[in-house]
Amino acid sequence: MKKALVILMALVLTAALAAPVFAGGAPRGEFRKGIITGLDEAAGTIVFSPANSDEQITMKLGPEVNSSEITVDKRVIVSLDEQDHTLVRNVTRMFIDLDAKNMAFILFVGFVGGLVSGFIGSGGAFVLTPGMMSLGVPAAVAVASNMCHKFPKAMVGAYKRLKYGQVDLKLGLIMGLSAIGGVQIGIKVQEFIFKSWGDAGSNLYVSVAFVAILVTVGGYVFRDAMKIAKSGGEEKPSKLALWIQTINIPPMIHLKTANVRISVWFTVPVGFATGLMAATIAVGGFVGVPGMMYVIGASSLVASASELVVAFTMGFAGSVKWAMAGLIDLRLTLLILAASLFGVQLGALGTTYVKEHMIKVVMGSIMLIVAISRGLAIPKYLTDLGVLSLQPSTANILMKASFIVMAAALLIGAFIIIKSMIMGMRMSRKEVSGVAASHVK
Amino acid sequence: MKEKKKQPYAMAVMMGILSIGSYIAIFTNQEMVTDFSTRSGYFVILPIAAAFYFSFIHGAFASSVLSILGIEAKKKK
Repeated sequence: MKKALVILMALVLTAALAAPVFAGGAPRGEFRKGIITGLDEAAGTIVFSPANSDEQITMKLGPEVNSSEITVDKRVIVSLDEQDHTLVRNVTRMFIDLDAKNMAFILFVGFVGGLVSGFIGSGGAFVLTPGMMSLGVPAAVAVASNMCHKFPKAMVGAYKRLKYGQVDLKLGLIMGLSAIGGVQIGIKVQEFIFKSWGDAGSNLYVSVAFVAILVTVGGYVFRDAMKIAKSGGEEKPSKLALWIQTINIPPMIHLKTANVRISVWFTVPVGFATGLMAATIAVGGFVGVPGMMYVIGASSLVASASELVVAFTMGFAGSVKWAMAGLIDLRLTLLILAASLFGVQLGALGTTYVKEHMIKVVMGSIMLIVAISRGLAIPKYLTDLGVLSLQPSTANILMKASFIVMAAALLIGAFIIIKSMIMGMRMSRKEVSGVAASHVK
Repeated sequence: MKEKKKQPYAMAVMMGILSIGSYIAIFTNQEMVTDFSTRSGYFVILPIAAAFYFSFIHGAFASSVLSILGIEAKKKK
């Protein structure tokens, strides 16, 4: 066990130092962090002092920037024009004030997110980033702080599920390392789209990818879960996985916990696709877990548990990179962790009480609801690109609805988990008391 | 007679004090924490080390609390 952990740490460290990993999406466009030391409202300029430098740069404020909202002598992130790097397009306070309401919100989403992650292996974090942004946290800081909470949470979840005998460490490691490669390609694609079509194009690409993948994969997972439920709850490997396992292309590996013998040439692409998705839609597990179930042939218990190892590997590598960019708000990270470490352990132990197909039910439901949420956002991005004409008020309503539906996806997932867990616990207690009574007789 | 399982009270209290104390230290020094954790150079290690530290102590605290509340994984037969 100790040996395995040492190997895991060594691999992760090497990967983290070798690869430019911004899982969860690289910061888009040009931006700089620093302090605004002077503001001339009449001239529409600011004096900007970048972080870790004594430089004083005079920058022009773009028409979209409201100079009365600029705070002097506080750390900020300024978004700059793509062509003119002295033209400011947006100014955001780097560190928001944490009042009781903000803290309660982060703790609540952290707990629910942790619960879902512990149960299905991932997917808990997708509400956190937009949620923090709605509190005024700059996008890059929200992604970075979320990422930094992901790896310790996944580590604790993976440790718990390893104790329950559900984690295939070898599968998780192979997937995690191949995912790092996928993340890099995903970022290159994102950068290309951002440079060609700007922010709206990039948002549209992410939303279309979200909807296409979630509807296809989520629909399949959900349909499969319903089929298993009807047939008595017995999970069987897919025909595709059984066929793949018969193909003998060296190097072949034996995945002990998953009870699968498979060629590395099939496991690496699944990991790669997971990374690609992590860099695009920020939730690689929505591809990784179904990939492990339907392509590799692992059970949903093993796939969801091993996904936590993938999340740890990618989350750690990503966090090192975000820490180097100096964008992690440690307060936010630790606040999320305070609740998510309870949630993830509850979700992990919940898997021992439910029927295996419940993991598929929760995952499929969340994926399909999130697809609706992202679908609602598409008209706004099409309007930004000039393809569609939409009233600003309608666009606003659609964006708000999109966020509400996304939050609902997480809450519905958590509700199904807690309900099936309570039912499983009651049944288990009845079984125990039944056995005890028969012993007394 | 069924043997009663020993509850991890000592662990919960010890890790709870450590965890809550660390959280109080962080949130009463927010300016310093955000300043140091976003610096370049060797300071890069700070947020990563803090995340590991809290995952161990707060993770152990959460685990003990759940056990005390009777919320534990199903035993294999």
